[in-house]
Amino acid sequence: MAVAVATAAALGLAGCGSDSGSGSGGDGENVSLELLVPIYGDKTKPYWEQLVKDFEAENSNIDVKLETQSWDDIYNVMTTKMQNNKPPDILELDAAGPAYATDGALYKAEEIVSPETYEDIEPAFIDSAKIDGQAYGVPTVASTRALFYNKTLFEQAGITAPPKTWDELLDASKKISALGGGVYGYGMPLGSEEAQAETSIWAYGNGASWEKDGKMTIDTPEAKEALTFMKKMIDEGATQPNPGATDRTPLLDVFIQGKIGMIEGLPPIVGQINEKAPDLDWAIAPSPTKDGEPVTLGVADYFVGFNKDEDKQESIAKFLDFFYQQDNYVKFNDNEGFIPATKSGAEAAAAKPELKTFLESLPDAKFYPATNPAWGQTSGAFKSDVGQIETKSVDEVLKSIQAKADVEG
Amino acid sequence: MQALPWLLPALVLIVGVVIFPAGYMVYTSFRDLSRFGKDRGWAGFENYVRVFGLDPLPTVLTNTVVWTVGTVVVTVLLSLVLAQFLNKKFPGRKVLRMVIIVPWAASVVMTSTVFVYGLDPFYGIINKFLVDVGIIDEPYGFLKNATSGFLSAMAVAVFVSVPFTTFVVLAGLQTIPHDVLEAASIDGAGKVQTYWSVVFPMLRPALAVAAIINIINVFNSLPILKTMTGAIPGNDADTTTTFMFKLIQNDRQIDTASALSVVNFVVIIVVIGVYLKVVKPMREVNA
Repeated sequence: MAVAVATAAALGLAGCGSDSGSGSGGDGENVSLELLVPIYGDKTKPYWEQLVKDFEAENSNIDVKLETQSWDDIYNVMTTKMQNNKPPDILELDAAGPAYATDGALYKAEEIVSPETYEDIEPAFIDSAKIDGQAYGVPTVASTRALFYNKTLFEQAGITAPPKTWDELLDASKKISALGGGVYGYGMPLGSEEAQAETSIWAYGNGASWEKDGKMTIDTPEAKEALTFMKKMIDEGATQPNPGATDRTPLLDVFIQGKIGMIEGLPPIVGQINEKAPDLDWAIAPSPTKDGEPVTLGVADYFVGFNKDEDKQESIAKFLDFFYQQDNYVKFNDNEGFIPATKSGAEAAAAKPELKTFLESLPDAKFYPATNPAWGQTSGAFKSDVGQIETKSVDEVLKSIQAKADVEG
Repeated sequence: MQALPWLLPALVLIVGVVIFPAGYMVYTSFRDLSRFGKDRGWAGFENYVRVFGLDPLPTVLTNTVVWTVGTVVVTVLLSLVLAQFLNKKFPGRKVLRMVIIVPWAASVVMTSTVFVYGLDPFYGIINKFLVDVGIIDEPYGFLKNATSGFLSAMAVAVFVSVPFTTFVVLAGLQTIPHDVLEAASIDGAGKVQTYWSVVFPMLRPALAVAAIINIINVFNSLPILKTMTGAIPGNDADTTTTFMFKLIQNDRQIDTASALSVVNFVVIIVVIGVYLKVVKPMREVNA
């Protein structure tokens, strides 16, 4: 309702032509679009700079103001922008982007791309970030997690196949840890960097869900069983020392150095390993779960368009359609090493063998309940507290996370 | 009143840079802000009630005291020694004086990051060194638990605070007239007595400046702890400053964090007030 009224108001305003710059009238009106995107890697910024340039060359009346921010900073930048009531026109973010719809600030997903583009996007990804059945985010990249394992260490420890269940994982990890010499079986990063991901892989692997009926459900029997098993992995020496304070990125470097048997990773890691350690003998297997039932953590990022009562909707759609054009979009995913979220893009990606395990796990991917406004603080609570399972009881840790998730925001 | 036009630029600067931001901080602490930063109106003292109800607060406050007092005391002691040494004439003194500035000139985040890598149990060069010389048997995760992580961060805080403090003390030492020292030695004062009865009292103003600036700096320091102990779960290695940061970034409680920052601000003003009142460091020296 609020959105409808706002749109009507926007149309009314545009009718008066109040905020046109040079006033050439009609389609030729000059529009400026603020675009805020996160930086995935070294290639992100040059990519967007080039894309904006190409787009402006075709659409001389649209001026795109590009702003790039690191993943560390982008949330704070957005908070400040919201506080000052100056959101960008287009924002790329994880599911925290679509969550801005609860403040009534966003265009609907189908309003910011053409119907053809909307049709081409994998419905599962659009569904992953719906709020009350309405999509606000258009997926840009997608990824799932899978188990990276070191084949050399597997051979030395006499393990023939990658583990499918938790028990097999524990067994294999202990065998590799027993090799000694600073080598550890399973890399478990529960430091503040991305503890929510590692925890979710385990909890989802036991059928847990972080949300039910709009409420955060952290302290559940399923999650408790998962965290208890994680604690068992730590206590029995199957993991690297001090998992509670180990961040993901430095630990991946240790895997790349060949001192960790197994670790959960994302598609872009493939490129990193190939670049940094071409000699490493490794492979990818689906994430182990409690009973071997295939499920893993899926993550997608989205474009959202902010409705600021200005007549920019058409320009936003023009820009996003340009982004989703086959060439531009495939290049974006190639750069970042992610899985494309469009049907046409997925066909192009299927040709790459290293993405096979990830593509296959897509149907079983379970997403964060990130459109729930409370997810931000819940994810934050995981980051700051879940590592404590190393020293505290699982009950205590789950209760403290649940309490932080329940705070009214 | 006649002076007003002349004072205006200074007043504008003070209002714009000091009073307005401080006032805005206090204002925010009485607002009810959504987790996305939307202002939902007046909150009264709700944010403050929430701050004082936070479970980790006692630990965090204790940490803050240990962090500030420990770092400043060790820094000042080391600097007194170092400044005394640098005040002597010896070959290469100029070079050494320059070298000592380096930790101060380098970005704190960079320095802390160097230590993060150095202390890493898998590939840290400091860890490797300690193992090689036999001080420890196997690499130790210095930054992997709250106590040793916090102490390591304090050591780095001392490391980056010493240069500035040393130079302030050194400047103080150089203001001591030579004839005073000569008079002391003619009166038969020994080296120790000269130091404590003549040199040290005359260093008071320099030490006051060094101590106050260090207290403020160390108390409000975020980057060292954020870089070095940021990965440690829980709040056992947090000071009020890093705790505030976690409230914003992890818990998304902007309003609670604002209230905590006002509390922080009041604490530092009280600490400095007490310091000035009790130690009277600015008092004139009566020889």
